[in-house]
Amino acid sequence: MLKVENLHASVGDKDILKGINLTVKAGEVHAIMGPNGSGKSTLASVLAGNEKFTVTEGKVEFLGKDMLSLSIEERSRMGLFLGFQYPVEIPGVTMANFMKLAVNEQRKARGLEPLSAAEYLRMMREKSAVVELDSKLTSRAVNEGFSGGEKKKNEIFQMAMLDPKLAILDETDSGLDIDALRIVATGVTRLHTPENATVVITHYQRLLDYIVPDFVHVLYKGRIIYSGDKSLALKLEKEGYDWLINDYKEE
Amino acid sequence: MTVERIVNEMVAQPAPDTLTPGSWSLVADSSRSLVVEQGVRAELLVIDAEAAVSIDINVAQGAELRMVYVSQTQSANHIKLTVAEGGRCDVTQVMTHSSEVHFNTMLDGRFATFELNGVFVLTGDDRGGVTVDVHHNMPDCTSCTIVKGVASGSAHGRFSGVVYVAPDAQRTDSKQLSRNVTLGDARIETLPQLEIYADDVKCSHGATVGQMDAEAVMYMRQRGLSLVDAKRLQLEGFVSDVVMRSAIGRIAEPLQELISEKINRL
Amino acid sequence: MSENTNNILDSLEKSDYKYGFVTDIETETIPRGLSEDVIRLISEKKGEPDWMLERRLKAYRHWLTLKHPNWAHLDIPEIDFQDVIYYAAPKPKKQLNSMDEVDPELKRTFDKLGIPLEEQMALAGVAVDAVMDSVSVKTTFRDTLAEKGIIFCSISEAIKEHPELIKKYLGSVVPYTDNFYAALNAAVFSDGSFCYIPKGVHCPMELSTYFRINAEGTGQFERTLIVADEGSYVSYLEGCTAPQRDENQLHAAVVEIVVERDADVKYSTVQNWYPGDKNGKGGIYNFVTKRGLCREGAHLSWTQVETGSAITWKYPSCVLLGDNSSGEFYSVAMTNNYQQADTGTKMIHIGKNTRSRIVSKGISAGMSQNAYRGMVKVARGADNARNYSQCDSLLIGDKCGAHTFPVINSHNPSAVLEHEATTSKISEDQLFYSRQRGLSTEDAVGMIVNGYAREVLTKLPMEFAVEAQKLLAISLEGSVG
Repeated sequence: MLKVENLHASVGDKDILKGINLTVKAGEVHAIMGPNGSGKSTLASVLAGNEKFTVTEGKVEFLGKDMLSLSIEERSRMGLFLGFQYPVEIPGVTMANFMKLAVNEQRKARGLEPLSAAEYLRMMREKSAVVELDSKLTSRAVNEGFSGGEKKKNEIFQMAMLDPKLAILDETDSGLDIDALRIVATGVTRLHTPENATVVITHYQRLLDYIVPDFVHVLYKGRIIYSGDKSLALKLEKEGYDWLINDYKEE
Repeated sequence: MTVERIVNEMVAQPAPDTLTPGSWSLVADSSRSLVVEQGVRAELLVIDAEAAVSIDINVAQGAELRMVYVSQTQSANHIKLTVAEGGRCDVTQVMTHSSEVHFNTMLDGRFATFELNGVFVLTGDDRGGVTVDVHHNMPDCTSCTIVKGVASGSAHGRFSGVVYVAPDAQRTDSKQLSRNVTLGDARIETLPQLEIYADDVKCSHGATVGQMDAEAVMYMRQRGLSLVDAKRLQLEGFVSDVVMRSAIGRIAEPLQELISEKINRL
Repeated sequence: MSENTNNILDSLEKSDYKYGFVTDIETETIPRGLSEDVIRLISEKKGEPDWMLERRLKAYRHWLTLKHPNWAHLDIPEIDFQDVIYYAAPKPKKQLNSMDEVDPELKRTFDKLGIPLEEQMALAGVAVDAVMDSVSVKTTFRDTLAEKGIIFCSISEAIKEHPELIKKYLGSVVPYTDNFYAALNAAVFSDGSFCYIPKGVHCPMELSTYFRINAEGTGQFERTLIVADEGSYVSYLEGCTAPQRDENQLHAAVVEIVVERDADVKYSTVQNWYPGDKNGKGGIYNFVTKRGLCREGAHLSWTQVETGSAITWKYPSCVLLGDNSSGEFYSVAMTNNYQQADTGTKMIHIGKNTRSRIVSKGISAGMSQNAYRGMVKVARGADNARNYSQCDSLLIGDKCGAHTFPVINSHNPSAVLEHEATTSKISEDQLFYSRQRGLSTEDAVGMIVNGYAREVLTKLPMEFAVEAQKLLAISLEGSVG
């Protein structure tokens, strides 16, 4: 589904990603971990097409297509979803309105008719239940005045609405209390099918208790320096990153 | 008398044309041109005299000027501040008499900073005006202007301020706030203005004209304070944060006294 | 600024004026220029009584003593007032008895404008007094309104048929001595609308007037007078368009609103005059004086969406004369290319316990300049006056300007006045977020702009709100991601 080869990216004259290799297949869950400033969020942004970053080298294929030449929205309409670490506030634009535009753009890209108002409302009701999102929030402006937990639930709600092929969740667990974490994680798990894939970027192992990854990667200084199965996350939790980083430095 | 105390607390030499590191004072009885040279950190106390003069101050690259300006007589002065790259200018302005003062600040180098905290307290038939114009001529500059006004009796108070953001002065961060309380037949006029020609900016301004919080006065009286004391206390509270943040910390107290003295005469 | 934003700007500049057609109708005009003779001619053509002519001449003589104002944040080219045609009317064929007799060209123009002048109007529930160039062409729904005692007609008719009301109210809120353009208008106004709501009557439908400048080189000087008598209510809509022409056309209207005791008036405008092309050539100069007078307990609400005109100079104001009266001003002003707008409001608090609220949203794009100018004044006797003002500016691109000039003037210690203003741009983060969910840049910008203006748009009557949203979108049309 996703094939990243030797991806380099920079912002200004600062190189952040220095040769990422990653392959994600349908049905898989990947976790990307790593200390602060290792480039995790940059990787998510670059995959989504954020124009703040310049790709200087490498290749990314998504569903067999060269993804780097596509715009942000083209990638989105192909089924790439990014769950933002800091969801943006858009004053005056209601959640319901925003999602209606987005859902219909996605449907258009898939050759489907736009939803009628009734169908759309039904879908909203159904999907907001996935993350126990207060339905009143959908009539408020996008993320405006939402609490930290509400913002993150809202991201997963949107993921449910857009039904992506590949979801990249950037620190979706940060700032959540244990109940909110359970709700968000259960939501993500429920949305997982053999046809789609999920990449979870996280700091902590605790999210991975709910979302069990098939692969765990450690990102450090813009490279994936180690990959393993879910036991790696537990080991990192117990021993930290030092043993890996020290190895890496010696290389 | 209080002004003398301020001067005494300050412990400063008469300001030469080029300010070296240290504390300086200036009586504004004639026009002057001063320079704070590169990297120098200087303090300056300006006391007005019955005159209309202009004082030009150049704050060079990376220099820092901390200035307290006191209007206590009938004066009409024009203070022009030019701040170069990375320079910083911190002003505390206090007015307790019919007077006009006009600060005209040019942020002419990147990362220059200007901050002004001002207060005017006018009573009887005082006529007072504070004008603060800030020109963001280069990108990445910061400015913050807060002027608080109290007018009672048949006094007239006026605040006027323009924040000008030049084309290409991107990433400007500017705040401007005018807060005022009127009592009796007094009049207050406030003209907070923005003129912006760049798009990547954070600019906000606000202005309020109002009266004292009746509930707070009631609360204090319930605890036994007289009406006069309750009002006085509240007004002092209203303006005190301005002087408490005085650009020159050690004269905050006598400044506060100067204002309290005036408030007692309301 | 990113590549992307540049693209948006480019395409913004490319978006064209959608109402730029010219209707080929025979018009009757008088020679260019202004003199007492021209005023006599206008008055005669309109068959006015002598007292009206006298009023016009008085205003003209006063105008001659005035200089063109230059305090606004506008760059106004010198206007040659002798090069303007002060009167243009579609040539009258004969008295018309029914809709079928209206010139088909004219009807087509109205259709293009999307004005439902015929039976659809019954469904839409809108009475339209269409002012094309300077003479009211047809006023509908008058009979329905007449049953309630509501008068809704052209001002020319009102001068003839309701002289007592005109004598009492015309010029009572905006006297000819008020300003340069008010004096000019009082001298040469050609037509406009008059509306009178009797005591205690709740006007059952939205009253609507469409203005359109058609003939070349004509100035439009319409005059609107609305009188809401004690305890009445009316919602009044005004929409404006003009054809695309290379030369600049002048529009200097006066709107007066009298809101008597406990009456309530809601006045909404969507102004879409031709703004000139992307190089700043042509376009309407829109210099308008709008003011309402509120008696005891009265309420007046102005809502405006301004997307057109090369130059706009306009400050709908409320004089809160009576105790407990209140005024509101909601505005969205969008400027693009070389447009200039200097607009805002005045709230004059004279009565006790008067309240006012100002919400202004400026949007500047291209090379345009957008200024909010406002005044809140509290007179000595206006105890407990309250005002809240909020003025926000949104900048699209780095070649435009946004300016805020509020004046707050309080002569009463019990007044509480608040003013807040912010300036922002559409952030790259908002665009990235929206596009990540699949929206195109163009749709995202349109959505964000409409969201930004929402607080004002929701104050408009339904039909207008939809039109206004479309107008904002049109100005953003053609954007490429």
